[in-house]
Amino acid sequence: MPREFQRGHKAKISDLTAGTDLYVGVQITAPGLTFDISCFGLDADERLSDDRYFVFFNQPKSPEESIQLLGAQAGDTESFRITLDRIPPQIQKLSFTATLDGAGQMSQIGSGHLRIVAGGEEVARYAFSGAEFTTERAVMLGDFYLKDVWRFAAVGQGFDGGLDALLKNFGGEVAEEETPAAPAQPQAGAAAPGFAPPAFGAPSAPAPAPYQPQPAAQGFAPPPGATLPPAPAPAPSVHAAPTIVAPLAPPGGGHVPPPGPVPAPYGQPPQQPYGHGPAPTAPMPPGYGQQPQPPQAPPGYGQPAPPPGYGQQPPFGQLPGQQAYGVPQGAPQGGAGVTAALQQFKETPTGQRWTQQNKKLIRVDLGMGGQPVLARQGSMVLYQGKVDFSYKGAGFAGRIVGNATGQEMQLMRCTGQGQVFLAENSTHVHPIELQGDAICVSAENVLAFDESLQYEVRRIEGHGIPGGALFTMQFQGTGTIVVKTHGTPVVLPVTPTTFADCNAVVAWSAASQVVVSSQVRMRRNAYPGDTGESVNLQFRGAPGNFIVVQPYEV
Amino acid sequence: MNQPLAGYAPAPVTARMENHGDHMLKVAMQTGNDLFARVGSMVAYEGFVQYEPNPPAVRQIARDWMTGEGAPLMKCTGDGLLYLADYGANVVVINLNGDGISVNATNLLAFDAHLTWGVERVKGLAKFAGQGLWNTKISGQGWVALTSRGKPIVVDCGGGEDETYVDPDALVAWSPNLKVKGKRSFKAQSLIGRGSGEAYQMAFSGQGIVVVQPSEDSTDRLRVRG
Repeated sequence: MPREFQRGHKAKISDLTAGTDLYVGVQITAPGLTFDISCFGLDADERLSDDRYFVFFNQPKSPEESIQLLGAQAGDTESFRITLDRIPPQIQKLSFTATLDGAGQMSQIGSGHLRIVAGGEEVARYAFSGAEFTTERAVMLGDFYLKDVWRFAAVGQGFDGGLDALLKNFGGEVAEEETPAAPAQPQAGAAAPGFAPPAFGAPSAPAPAPYQPQPAAQGFAPPPGATLPPAPAPAPSVHAAPTIVAPLAPPGGGHVPPPGPVPAPYGQPPQQPYGHGPAPTAPMPPGYGQQPQPPQAPPGYGQPAPPPGYGQQPPFGQLPGQQAYGVPQGAPQGGAGVTAALQQFKETPTGQRWTQQNKKLIRVDLGMGGQPVLARQGSMVLYQGKVDFSYKGAGFAGRIVGNATGQEMQLMRCTGQGQVFLAENSTHVHPIELQGDAICVSAENVLAFDESLQYEVRRIEGHGIPGGALFTMQFQGTGTIVVKTHGTPVVLPVTPTTFADCNAVVAWSAASQVVVSSQVRMRRNAYPGDTGESVNLQFRGAPGNFIVVQPYEV
Repeated sequence: MNQPLAGYAPAPVTARMENHGDHMLKVAMQTGNDLFARVGSMVAYEGFVQYEPNPPAVRQIARDWMTGEGAPLMKCTGDGLLYLADYGANVVVINLNGDGISVNATNLLAFDAHLTWGVERVKGLAKFAGQGLWNTKISGQGWVALTSRGKPIVVDCGGGEDETYVDPDALVAWSPNLKVKGKRSFKAQSLIGRGSGEAYQMAFSGQGIVVVQPSEDSTDRLRVRG
C-alpha cells in the first residue's frame, strides 16, 4: 500500500522500505506536451558540482551506475533506478525534475505522480496536478536527500525559466543547445525494458522481455548526438558492447539492470547474481532460443514483445524445441534463485507498532509504544529480538466468569524488545485501532490486543437462546485489537434492519444495541428440517456503527 | 455456457513450473526431465504422464521410512502438462538456480528429479536427548514447489546478534546455511506454542531467510521425534 505524499511531506526512506535499490517512476499526463525528466545529483551545497551526476536522456546513468535512467515503462513516463548505497559520498541529494520540451506551461498538466517502488511494491506516491502550478516551465518534483539517512521529500516547486533556470539554480553551466534540441530518440525512445516493471507479480508473464539487456538497443543506436557535452562517460561502453543481442554475460560496461527492482532481500547489500554475472539460467532474449552462440543480431533488437515459443534454458542437456509441450523456459520474472523467487513474500518494512504483513499475518513491534501485548496462546509463529512470553492468567474471578460464559481467552503476555509475528490457523487478521471507543468481539475471534485496553464480558439477553443468554467480550480504551476471521469478512453498516447469525458475527461496534430476534414459528420448528437459522441478532444503532460477519459459522 | 469460467483457462506455458492461481501448480513435463511430487497431489494432467509410486531411490526412501520424515513421493514421467495441488494450500514456486533450501517434507509439493536432495537431521537440535528433527534439503539447478497454509512470509535473519525464533509448527523452509538451535523455555509459567506445557521454538541465526506460514496446523508437519 503506497504511502501518499503531499507537497512538502518528508519521510525517511528506511521507513518506507528496507530496500536500497529503488525504482522511481514519474508519470505526467499532459496532452500535447512533452517533458524531459531528469535527476540531478547534487553535493552538500546543493550544487551540481559534477555534471556526470546529471542523469537525463543524453546521459542515462551516473559513472558508478547508482542512478540509471530506464525510460518509459510500466505506465510511467520516465523511470529511474536508484541504488542508494552505491551513491558516492559527495552526492548528498538527488533532485528529480521535469522540464517542458517545447511550448506550454506547467498548469497544463492534467495529472502526474512520482512514485517509489521497492521490491515490486509501490511504497510511496506523490501525486500532483496542474492546478498546483501556473506558468512554470520546469518543476522539481521530489528529492532524495541525505540527512543522517536517506530521506525523500515531495517538493513540487516550479521554475519559470525551464531547464536553464533549473541548471542555474543548481549551479550547473548551460552548454549551448544542450536541452531540448536533441530529443535523443535512441536512448529515451528505445525504452529498453530495464528491470522488471514494478507491476509484476504475475509470474506467468513472459519472462524474457525485462531481461532484454540495454546494450543491445544502444548498440544499434546511432551514435549519441554531438550536441551533448556532459555525456562522455557512457559512450565508450556503449560502442564497445558487441552487437550480438543479449550476450549471456554482458560486458561489464554495458549497464544491464538486474531483473528485479530490489534484489537485496532487506537489509543486505544488493546481490548481483542476476544481471551482472553470467547467470546460468538467465533466459535468452526473444527469437534466440535455439542456439545461444550465433549472434543473430536483428531479431531481438528493440522488440519488446517476445514471440510465444521463445527462449529456453536447456539446463538438462536437452535442446528445447524438441518437446511437444513447450517446456522449461526462462526463469520467473523476478529472477532465479531462492531469494528472488521469494521476493514477493518478504517482510514489509517496519515503521508502525502493528503492521499487517499479509491478510493472515500481523507483526507487532514491541519496541514501539513500550507496552506489552496480550496474544492468544500459540499464535506466535515467529519472533525476532528479545521477547519474553509469559502466561497470562485470567485470575480467579476471570476464570469463573470465563467458564460460566464461554468467553475465556487463553492469553500470553509478550514483553521485551523485538518483533513478534502472530497468526493463527490461516485465519484473516484485522487490526482495529480503538481511540477511546469500544468494540464487542466474541472471545474466540480475538487474536491479540494491546495491554492498555480494558475488556469485560458482556451479556446479551434474549429469549429462546439455549442457555438463556449470549456473551461477548467488550474491549475499550486506546490501543489496537486484532480480530481474526475465517475467510474475508463483510463489514455491514448498522441500519434499522441489520441481522446477523449469532454464530457468524465476529464483532460489532459497542455503541450499537443488540437485540435477539429469533424466528419462532411453530410450524417450522415443529418438523424436522427447519431452516437452522433460529437465533439471529438484530443490531440497532446510530449511523456509523458497523458489524463484522465472517463467512464461517462456528 | 462457460463464459464465466473462461478466465480460468491455463495461461501459455513459460516456465517449467508456474502457479495457476495461488493454489495450483502447473508443471510442464518432458521426457527425461522427471519430477517428484507428493503422492496424491495430482489434480489434472494433459498429455502422456505416468506415475510411479515408489521411485527407485531406495536408499532415500529407506531413510524416509526410518526417520518418519517425508511424505511419500511419486515419480512423474512423460510429456504434458501436470497440475498439482495440496488441499488448497498456497503454492510457492522457486527456481533454485544453484541455491539450496531446507524444507519440511510436508511442505514439499514437487521438485525436479535431477536435483540433489536428501533427508537430513537438523544440526543443533540433538542436544535434547532422544530428539531429532529431520527435514529435506534440496539444492541444484532446477525447480521446487512448496506449499504453505496461507500466504507465507519470508523473514531475513539479517545476521545480527538477535536470533529469529520460529514456532516449528509454522515453519515452512529455511536457507540451509543458517544455524539452527532448539529453544525451550523451562519456566513453569511459559505457555506458548501449541497447547500448553512445553514451549519449544527453533532459533535461526546467520545469513539467510526463513519462510513461515500463517498457520500452526501441526498435523503431520515438522516432527520432533522422541
